[in-house]
Amino acid sequence: MNAPGLRTIAVASRLVPAARRDAWRREWEAEAAWAWRRLGRDGADSAAARIRLRARILTCVIDALVERKETMTMSGLIDDLRFAARGLARHPAFTLVTVVTLALGIGANTAVFTLVDDVLLRPLPFPGSDRLVSLEHLGRDGQDELPISAGLYLLYRDHAGSLEAVAMHTGTAANLVTDGQPERVLGQSVTPGFFRTLRVSAVLGRTFAEQEGAPGAEPVVVLGDGLWRASFGADPSIVGRTIQMSGVSRRVVGVMPPDFGFPDRTARFWVPLEVDETQAPLGAFFAGGIARMAPGATLESVRREAEDLTSRLPELFPGDGGAEFLRGVGLRPRIRSLKEQLVGDVGRTLWILLGTVGFVLLIACANVANLLLVRAEGRQRELALRVAVGAGRVQVLRSFMGESLVLAGVGGVLGTGVAASAVRLTSRMIPADLPRLAEVGMDARVWGFTAVVTLGCAVFFGFFPLLHYGADDLAGQLRDGSGRGSTSGPARHRLRNTLVVAQVALALVLLVGSGLMFRSFLAIRAVDPGFETENVLTARIIVPSGEIEGWQETMTLFRQLRERMEQQPGVLAAGLVGSVPLGRGGVSFGGLEVEDHPRGPNELPVFALQPQADAGYFTAMGIAVLEGRAFEPGDGADGVRAAVVSRSFAEHWWPDGSALGRRVRLGAPDEGWYTIVGVVADVHDRALEEPPREAVYFPTLLDAGGPFAPARAQDIVLRTAGDPMDLLPVLRRELRALNPRIPLANPRTMAEVRRGATARTSFTLAMLGAAAGIALLLGLVGIYGVVSYVVSQRTREIGVRMALGASSGSVRRMVVRQGFALAAAGVVGGVAVALVLSRVMGALLFGVGSTDPVTYVVVAGTLVGVATLASWLPARRAAAVDPSGALRAD
Amino acid sequence: MGRLFSLTYPTAAVLLAIRHGHRYGFDVMDATGLPDGTVYPILRRLERRGVLAGAWEDEAVARAEQRPPRRYYRLTPVGESAMGEVTDRFPVLVRLFDPGAGLAR
Repeated sequence: MNAPGLRTIAVASRLVPAARRDAWRREWEAEAAWAWRRLGRDGADSAAARIRLRARILTCVIDALVERKETMTMSGLIDDLRFAARGLARHPAFTLVTVVTLALGIGANTAVFTLVDDVLLRPLPFPGSDRLVSLEHLGRDGQDELPISAGLYLLYRDHAGSLEAVAMHTGTAANLVTDGQPERVLGQSVTPGFFRTLRVSAVLGRTFAEQEGAPGAEPVVVLGDGLWRASFGADPSIVGRTIQMSGVSRRVVGVMPPDFGFPDRTARFWVPLEVDETQAPLGAFFAGGIARMAPGATLESVRREAEDLTSRLPELFPGDGGAEFLRGVGLRPRIRSLKEQLVGDVGRTLWILLGTVGFVLLIACANVANLLLVRAEGRQRELALRVAVGAGRVQVLRSFMGESLVLAGVGGVLGTGVAASAVRLTSRMIPADLPRLAEVGMDARVWGFTAVVTLGCAVFFGFFPLLHYGADDLAGQLRDGSGRGSTSGPARHRLRNTLVVAQVALALVLLVGSGLMFRSFLAIRAVDPGFETENVLTARIIVPSGEIEGWQETMTLFRQLRERMEQQPGVLAAGLVGSVPLGRGGVSFGGLEVEDHPRGPNELPVFALQPQADAGYFTAMGIAVLEGRAFEPGDGADGVRAAVVSRSFAEHWWPDGSALGRRVRLGAPDEGWYTIVGVVADVHDRALEEPPREAVYFPTLLDAGGPFAPARAQDIVLRTAGDPMDLLPVLRRELRALNPRIPLANPRTMAEVRRGATARTSFTLAMLGAAAGIALLLGLVGIYGVVSYVVSQRTREIGVRMALGASSGSVRRMVVRQGFALAAAGVVGGVAVALVLSRVMGALLFGVGSTDPVTYVVVAGTLVGVATLASWLPARRAAAVDPSGALRAD
Repeated sequence: MGRLFSLTYPTAAVLLAIRHGHRYGFDVMDATGLPDGTVYPILRRLERRGVLAGAWEDEAVARAEQRPPRRYYRLTPVGESAMGEVTDRFPVLVRLFDPGAGLAR
């Protein structure tokens, strides 16, 4: 049967994708055969009918074209992916290396992005949170960072028109006795407007009413969800009931929703912060200030108004010594968005981390791209075949893309797994002062980020083979490059060399970063904190006024505890201090007067730390007494007004003489003078990176009329013979023996306290170091891969050279030189980039400049050296080439 | 609920033709009067979307007529459920194929 039109169908069928071609052709042929037959049988066989039928058969071309287009766009992609997956499964080693590399890269990026998103990008979890600001102050040209005082709070609350609501908050804690067991719970004292400022309300009951912050108001409390569930069994009838907190009966007025917390979720209850409007001190900075901007106000207008108000303090508070004092220290408000204040300088660390893992991913992608290029060259015969049987350029290129997509996709899926466990892991090792951490979690935004990164990877490394084979004459290229041929064809290698050079450069940047971080870490570790950190135990003891009311009884408890502990076996010394250095507790810092340096009318008061310590403190903490003596048991208690000063304070005021016997006093003139009896070593109190502040120690046990409120909260410090933690049960036992309802809070060794102070640096170092390590490894794999590949391609040429008399040594040198050249080029580029980028790290560094030559030289040298080594292996292989064998092989 | 395919006038015509027993490609062209080049792409698309199912004619029948077996199309359950919309949206078209069908249906 040879009905007309069959040839047309046969030709058109070539357009149809191979998988469907046969069925397509049979269908059209059957229709055509049937139609011709019917034409004859029906007797309608006119010339017009035949032409119409031919025309109809001709439309099979349209069908074929549409079919082709549909398959290409629809199932074509799926087919490409399936084909790519099958191809990759045949090369498990290549696939495994690639996928693992990508999973690590994508996982690290996802993990860090999770942190960045939660800490930096997401708004605070309060309605209209972009209108919230923090109210802080700076004194002495920014030397002092001061929060807010009750007087300034009232000033802003009553006079600042640009602020809709103002509130103060400060940490507090209470002893809650449930089932006879004292428990120490953290909470916050807040002015009644606190909840209104944040625009949050209670889920049960209510928050505070304005009059509940006035002195003498009924004691009330708002419970956090956690405390309500843990201690009160989520009993809804709790509202209105009275509970005992630190010996005070407080009526529960409300319960907050589970996700509420400010500044973090450690606070488990809120009590009103009392502000006596008739005598609120201006100069006692003790609480954090937050405010909500009034409609129409901007950060700038709030700043202007606050500056104006603080500059008019003496005029607004005539005769108030505090106003004069604040003018004296040059007080200036610092108004920032609340989020900016909460996040602080963590932002920089996180952005650097994100940049770092971004670099690692780039390096990983460059590696994968190089591997894919190698594979593509290995696949040339297969591709040439595909082109020969009619595959278009687009189809060939799509098969590359398919491979990239499969690799990136699998890498992305595994990467999210990596990220999930990394987030879980790091959330435990992240420094405690990283804000908003409780909120960290992976969500749709993070998934979206991962998807974009994954796709970006696929495009990135899928792009290079495209670049390589994307030239117009694909078939020609494939035919030419079907094997050895022009081995060192410069264009062929330029791309791969560029990738390797870029890898080395990026690795160098990361190595420099971690090198600088490492040197900072060493420098911080080398800082002498001024006290001993080994074998020292510390714990905080807070005596609630509801438990022991009188200050004398309170002091007796502390003294008895110290005396009991001193007698325990294994305790070498015991002491008490207001707050241990580096312990993040508050230390009072304020103005003093020095007797033989009277202050002129325009001079600032003398500023120094004013820690309170007792007789055993300096010995227990291992703070060296340089001159005179430490406190003795009698100091303070029976009116012996003795003070101990730090070396820097002594050298500041009496550079040529001794500080002993000189006198200092606090604040007002009616305070008595304290005679300096000793000089002790400087102590880093706030951070190891900051220079020690001048300090004047006052004895703990002062009489009631002294300048300090009786210290109800003190840190006990025990120097031990063995493991300090062994004495913790003993300490608990002795405290319980004195008063069973006073709990022990925050027991730590001083070594832990010190580690906490370096946590930020060691965390950044660990992250950067890990990233740099991976980068170095990937860079080496890159160099090794390229050099080995070149060697394998040049086997024949090397054989010729050796046949002509080249020694194996010279061949080896030739190959190594190639690896060296790549590394050197990468190092040069990397140094240039690192010099620019390391500047952003400046704030994280300590004791080392961002252009520290030692780091640069060591890193560059190491990188070049190791890279040269990496090309040594292929060089040895090249030198072992058997000339005759190499020449015989095709 | 998103539809699997866009119900255009030609698509509706093809569905109706098949519903009324015009099951082969050329028969559909004859029954609908649509331009020859448009029918097959519609058939292919509907088959891919699972609205139609194609199958080969019984070989014995074809051999008796000394021609190769033809490929015929029938409505799948998905296609059957789409017919309601066809009658709703193209009532006049429905009456072309089935003069007895009232407009009120």
